[in-house]
Amino acid sequence: MSKGFASNRLTLLAIGVLACFTGVGVRLVFLHVVDREELLGYVDKARRQIVVEHARRGTILDAKGNLLATSKSEVTLAVDPWALVEYLDSDRNDARRARKAGDERAKRGQLAGLLGLSVAEVEQAFSPGMRPIKIEADHRDGKVDGQTRDRWVKLREGLDEPTFDLIEKLNVRGLTHERIYRRVYPGGGLAANLIGYVNKEGNSVTGAERHFDLYLKGEDGWIESEQDGARRELAQFRSREVPVRDGNDVVLTIDSVVQHIIEDELRTIAGKFNPNFATIIVSEPRTGRILGMANYPSYDLNNYSKAPLEAQRNYAVTDMIEPGSTFKIVAAGAALDQGLVTPASAFDCGITSINYKGRDLKLPKEDHPFGQLTVAEIVSHSSNRGAAQLAMLMGEDRFYEYARRYGFGQTTKFQLGGEIRGILEDPAHWDGLTITRMPMGHAIAATPLQIHMAMSAIANGGARLRPQIIQEIRDSTGNVIRTFAPEKVEQVLRPSTAALLAQLLHGVVGPGGTGEGFDVKGFEVAAKTGTTQKIVDNKYSNTHYVGSFVGFFPASRPELVVSVIVVDAQVPNDKNYGRAVAAPSFKRVAEQLIQYLDIKPAQPLNRSIIAMQGGFP
Amino acid sequence: MKPPPTPGLVNRVIALTFLLLTFTGTLGLGAVWMRQGISSTANSNRALEDRITQVERRLDHVNAEVAAAVNPEALLRQNTFMRLALASPREIQIVRPIGSPELRLAAKRNQEIFRLGATSSDSAGAFRIVTASLR
Repeated sequence: MSKGFASNRLTLLAIGVLACFTGVGVRLVFLHVVDREELLGYVDKARRQIVVEHARRGTILDAKGNLLATSKSEVTLAVDPWALVEYLDSDRNDARRARKAGDERAKRGQLAGLLGLSVAEVEQAFSPGMRPIKIEADHRDGKVDGQTRDRWVKLREGLDEPTFDLIEKLNVRGLTHERIYRRVYPGGGLAANLIGYVNKEGNSVTGAERHFDLYLKGEDGWIESEQDGARRELAQFRSREVPVRDGNDVVLTIDSVVQHIIEDELRTIAGKFNPNFATIIVSEPRTGRILGMANYPSYDLNNYSKAPLEAQRNYAVTDMIEPGSTFKIVAAGAALDQGLVTPASAFDCGITSINYKGRDLKLPKEDHPFGQLTVAEIVSHSSNRGAAQLAMLMGEDRFYEYARRYGFGQTTKFQLGGEIRGILEDPAHWDGLTITRMPMGHAIAATPLQIHMAMSAIANGGARLRPQIIQEIRDSTGNVIRTFAPEKVEQVLRPSTAALLAQLLHGVVGPGGTGEGFDVKGFEVAAKTGTTQKIVDNKYSNTHYVGSFVGFFPASRPELVVSVIVVDAQVPNDKNYGRAVAAPSFKRVAEQLIQYLDIKPAQPLNRSIIAMQGGFP
Repeated sequence: MKPPPTPGLVNRVIALTFLLLTFTGTLGLGAVWMRQGISSTANSNRALEDRITQVERRLDHVNAEVAAAVNPEALLRQNTFMRLALASPREIQIVRPIGSPELRLAAKRNQEIFRLGATSSDSAGAFRIVTASLR
């Protein structure tokens, strides 16, 4: 071998090696510089994945910890028929493939049994098909024909976890699933108007679900990582992880049993009187905590889509009525508080007109003819003329001021929203007769909750509180993160006046009172009946009434305030008086609540009058 | 012309190269072993997380089922279905003791004891019962 040939060979080898390295270098430049973005995008698409972890919505509980609303995991089961085809096609051995196909068919039979479907329906879902797709997006199966393999055929939704566990054990090829949290309401229609619901899109629509959504919804988390060829996450390549934060639990002040008692009573009212709507509210006067608030009509939260919109309203705060005689607590309370009268002061309630500020004003009609009545009798007999004369003693401005203090004409700041203010016109807008009509609860409109809270103020030593529906917020581990204390809004009456008025209201259920016979023996019911004609076509109707019975017990140591309001009850002979349609329900509810809440019978009225001590500070 | 390197130097270079290769090999294998450890730990963590999530899902399911079963309406249905005839007491059925129930019970018990002592003959046995119940 000549020296020149050896030298050439080395040169050629060197050039070859250099060319190889150059080629590798050029390829690297193309990979890392020229095609970088495109390739990175491809890698990202193929390997990188972002998994969103949905936050679990918090639960809504009652004051005793019973679940009112919770989130339950449900499975949507679907089929990828082509996965089964690919699985069978991957086996070249005909006999084995036939055996596999037979095994799968048998599993599908079991699957049909678990799902409660016919085998034919399941087989139909497993038969491979195509679905139309936009031409410009059709690059999945190599053919651009506007058709692609249908890899998601829904088989069943709303499947529960135990059934899904059994299905998973079958290991059916081509079966795929998706988990979602669905809102369920274990009580069905219990407190439906208070709880509200979350619709199928996951949006909170009404009630506590909507107004406490900020607390309930939580924050979704996400994980950025990589996946293998089988789309399984490669956990070691997690690059970023934002932990999911589950929603907080909201504890309401309502008690499921109290709520059930009043809803049951509303069903009785509905069955008996078929009213337009009816409301019962139960609360604690000293804290303002609402233990129950029920409406008729109502609806089943688990079938909200079938409920008419009228049934979804919380009538206790969204609708107003003329309070009728229940409003007489304003005139009586104000006159006593001002020291203008005593319970023994007498008024002539037989007169039909009265001179007021130089004008003769016609007094309203009475249901029964009265003569001289004391203030105590005006309250117990519910005299319209007596109430008008009490208001006249004060004059428009002071009477209006007291009506405002009781909370009329302004919202109660109910925490679930949707509340209206009612109507209480300024005295400047009153006509000449308003001072005679408003004291009997006409020419004013209020929500049932406003009427309830006004009565509650008397039961609480004259202090009006904000109605409280939310008790506390707990985080997902059960720790209390926020509590809601009672809120005093205004001192309506002096505590001594409130105690005195409570005694007068106890007279309503006594002999000769409008609520005679509706006392609960030993529990000193203090209440006010109310009956008002509804305004239909701008005039008071003789066939449409609002009957109410609002009160508390025991009068000397108030534990509960209960309001029963029935609108447009269908009663024979049009006897829609509060005592006929609302008072019996009040008594039945009170008797049940006394047992359930273990309320002790009252001491005689001259002992331990809590209201005298000032009630809630 | 330079003299060829001494065999001792060549041996030292070979030994060092071998050592270097062993060291880097160990490092490489160590890194692989560590990565394997990381990935298996990460995967087992993920499996545990999945398990926890699954258990929480089951808990939610069971809690919802329990809540639906114990709501007042369902309990009343059960009461009817099982013919238990359970009802809350009425006020008329309730006797509320005036004063301390403990004192009333103690007085009642003492009366029983003394009555027992009086009716039985003056035997030591009756006395023993008294002391035993007072203990």
